[in-house]
Amino acid sequence: MSRATPRGARVFCGLSGGVDSALACALLLEQGFDVTAVYMRNWSRDLPGFRCPWADDLADAERVAVTLGIDLEVWDCEEEYRATVVDYLVDSYAHGYTPNPDVMCNQTIKFGTFLERALAEGADYVATGHYGRVERGEDGRTRLLRALDEHKDQTYFLWRVGEEALSRALLPVGEIRDKAEVRRMCAERGLGVEAKPDSDGICFIGPVGIRTFLLDALERRAGDVVEWETGRVLGRHDGAFLFTVGQRRGLDLGGGPARYVVSTDVEKNVVYVTANHDSPALFASEVSLSDVRWIAGEPPAPGRYLVRTRHTGELREAWVEPGDGASAVLRFDEPVRRVAPGQSAVVYDGLRCLGGGIVQ
Amino acid sequence: MTPGREVCLDYAAATPMDPEVVAVTLPYLTERFWNPSAPYSRAREARDDVERARGTVARLIGARPDNVVFTAGATEANNLAFAAVEGHVVVDAIEHESVLACAATHARRTVRVGADGLVDPAVVARAIRPDTELVSVELTNGEIGCVQPVREISRVVASECARRLEAGERTPIYLHTDASQAAGTLSVNVSTLGVDLLTLSAAKIYGPKQVGLLWASDDVRLRPLVYGGGQEGGVRSGTENVAGIVGFARALELACERRAEEARRLAGLRERLRAGIVERVPWAVVAGPRSPKRRLPGLLSVSFAGIEARRLVIALERAGVYVGTGSACAASRMRVSHVLEAVGMPRELAEGSLRLTLGRPTSPEDVDYAAEAIAGAVRAEMERLGLDDAGQAARVEALLAGAPGASMRVRRPGAGGAAGNDGYAW
Repeated sequence: MSRATPRGARVFCGLSGGVDSALACALLLEQGFDVTAVYMRNWSRDLPGFRCPWADDLADAERVAVTLGIDLEVWDCEEEYRATVVDYLVDSYAHGYTPNPDVMCNQTIKFGTFLERALAEGADYVATGHYGRVERGEDGRTRLLRALDEHKDQTYFLWRVGEEALSRALLPVGEIRDKAEVRRMCAERGLGVEAKPDSDGICFIGPVGIRTFLLDALERRAGDVVEWETGRVLGRHDGAFLFTVGQRRGLDLGGGPARYVVSTDVEKNVVYVTANHDSPALFASEVSLSDVRWIAGEPPAPGRYLVRTRHTGELREAWVEPGDGASAVLRFDEPVRRVAPGQSAVVYDGLRCLGGGIVQ
Repeated sequence: MTPGREVCLDYAAATPMDPEVVAVTLPYLTERFWNPSAPYSRAREARDDVERARGTVARLIGARPDNVVFTAGATEANNLAFAAVEGHVVVDAIEHESVLACAATHARRTVRVGADGLVDPAVVARAIRPDTELVSVELTNGEIGCVQPVREISRVVASECARRLEAGERTPIYLHTDASQAAGTLSVNVSTLGVDLLTLSAAKIYGPKQVGLLWASDDVRLRPLVYGGGQEGGVRSGTENVAGIVGFARALELACERRAEEARRLAGLRERLRAGIVERVPWAVVAGPRSPKRRLPGLLSVSFAGIEARRLVIALERAGVYVGTGSACAASRMRVSHVLEAVGMPRELAEGSLRLTLGRPTSPEDVDYAAEAIAGAVRAEMERLGLDDAGQAARVEALLAGAPGASMRVRRPGAGGAAGNDGYAW
C-alpha cells in the first residue's frame, strides 16, 4: 500500500470546531503536510427560539488554528448546502422518505464543493475528521476502508464519495483505535476542544430536532393514525411526513400499548401503526435500493457481502444483486427489521466499503 | 493550561460588582425578600428601600425621583425611550445595536459621523424634519470611546422645539442619550446634558447585570412595553428587582464619588497602554478622537493592519489577557463592526482592531503585562504571515492615505525615537 507523501504537499483540512477535525489538522501538521484549515459555513440561519451553534463552533475552530499556528479560512458553502442538503432533506420528508443528510453533505459539500475549491486553490489533498481509512493500492486504485475504531466508523456516511475524490482525501483519525485516544491526543496538544461532546443528530439542525425543523418548512396537515392489522382509526396526527418507519415516540394515541409506525402514506396522509413489535409488517428479507453508487465506478459481482443499514449498525451478510441502472437488491437469509425508505444501505467486502444505495 | 497572570481589558463588556454593592444587595436576596407591593410593614420597608434608591439615583443625575423608571438593563431602557414616539427619528451611525434596532422600527434618518466618530450637531440639525420626534445620540461610544457633543445637540433640538412653537406645530421632539458607558467616568447630569431621556446601566458601573434605568423629563409620556401589575408608574410592570435596584443606587453613588479620580487614573493607564503598544509595534493605529476631552478615559481602540483580531483574542487568552474586538455583538458574527465601518476605517485595519477597556481593578503592572502580551501576539502572527515592520509601516501609510481624514507617519526601525509617532491616525 502506498502512502500519501507529506513532503511539501498542501492539504486543506476541514476544521469544524469539533474534536476529530482538530486532531486531524494537528496530525497532518506533525506528518509534515503544509496545512490550511477551512471552516465550512454551511448553515447560519437561526430557527425561531433556537440558536444555531455555528458561531461558537467557528470560535473553537479559530482557537485550534491559532494554537497550531495555521491559517483558518472561512468558506461560505451556504448556497450549495441549501440546494443539495437542506432542500433534499425537506423534499425527501415531504415525499415520505427519511433521508440521511450527512451522506449528501459528504458527497456534495465536503468531497464536492470543498474538494473542488481546494484543488483550484492549489491543494494536493483535502482532509476531514471522518472515521474511515483511505487505502492507496500499488495498482493505483484507491479504496475506502472502515475506521480502526469500529464503534466510531463513519463509512456509512461516505458511500457516495467516488474513488476519484477519495484519491485526494486524507482521513487521519480513521487510523486511531478509539475515541478516548482521540480526546487524549487533543488534550496533549492543548487544542482546547477535547471536552466537547460528540455531535449528535443532524449536524446543521443541532439541538432543534427534526420535527421543529420540518414544521418550519412544511405545513402541518391533520390525518389519521390507523392500526395496520385492523384498519381501525386510533387517533390523529399532524402530518404523515413527520413520521418514520419503526418510530414509537410522538404518536399521541392517549395511552394504551406502545405502538410502532409500520409505514406512512404521505399522499393519503395516513400513518399505519402496530402494537406488535414483532409484527411481520416490520420485517423484510428483501430490500430494493435505488440511486446506487459504487465507489470503484462499476458494480461488484453479485454475491454475499456485508451490509449495514444504520450508522454503526450491525454488519449483516446478504446476497447483493446489482441490477440495471442505479439499482440493486439485497437478500437477507432471514427477515430483518425494516429500514425506513430514504435511508442508506451500505455494502462492504470485509473492511472495504464498496458503495451503497437508497432504501426504497 | 492556566496562564500565570490574568488581565481583563474588557471592562466595557462587563464589570465585577463592587464589594460594597454586593454587601448592600445581599440582604435583599435573603431576609429582605419581600414583595414591595405586599400590604404588611416588612414589605412596605422593601418598597421604601426601592424608593430611597430611586431618590438616590435621581439626585445623582440631577433629576426628580418620579421621572426615573427602573428597567432590566440599558437595552430595555433604550427600547422604552423609542416606544415613547411613533414618528420619525434621527440617530447616528455608531449607536449601540439596541438603539439602531429600535430606530429600525421607525421612519428614520441615520446621520454619518466623522472619522474620529464624532457627530456634528449641524448634521443633526439638517437631518431633523418637521415630523421628527426623537433624536438619539449615545453619550460615549463603547467601541472607539468618543464623547459626543450631546449638550450642543440639545441646543439644536431646543431650537427646533422653539421653531415648532412659533409655527404652531404640535409635534414634540425629544433628545435621548444612552449614557451607559459614560457613567463611570463622566458626569451624567440630565440638565447639564440638556436631554429629555437618558439611559443608564448598573452592569457597566460595578453594579448587577439586568438593572438599568430610563429617566424621562416631564414632557415625555412613556408607553409601557411590559404590561401587568402596574409597577414603576404603570410603565414597567413586574415585581421590582429590589436587590438589583438597591445595588444600582449604591453603584452609582460609588461611581460619582470616585469619578474624577478614577477618570484621571484610567486616562493615565490608557496612555501608558497606548505608549507601550506603539513603542513595541510602531505601525499600530489608534482610532477615536485625539483630544482627551472627547475620549472615554479608559478605552483604547488599536488596530493592526493585516492581522486578524480574532486570532489575537485567542492568542491573548492563552497569555491570560482578555480583550474585545469591536462590540461583543459584532464579534459573534462574520461582520466588521458597524462602528469601524461608519468611521471609514479600511477593512484591513478594522479586521485587526482590538478594543481595550480598563477598569477599577486595572493596575500599571497589568497594563505593562498586557502591552507586552499584545505586542508578542502581534509579532507571532507577523512571523506566521511573513510580515516585517518596514513592510507593515508602508502598508499602514498606504491604507491611511486612502482613508478620509486620516494620515500617519510611522517611525521606521533604526530611525531613532526622535520622530516617534503616537499611533493616532485621526
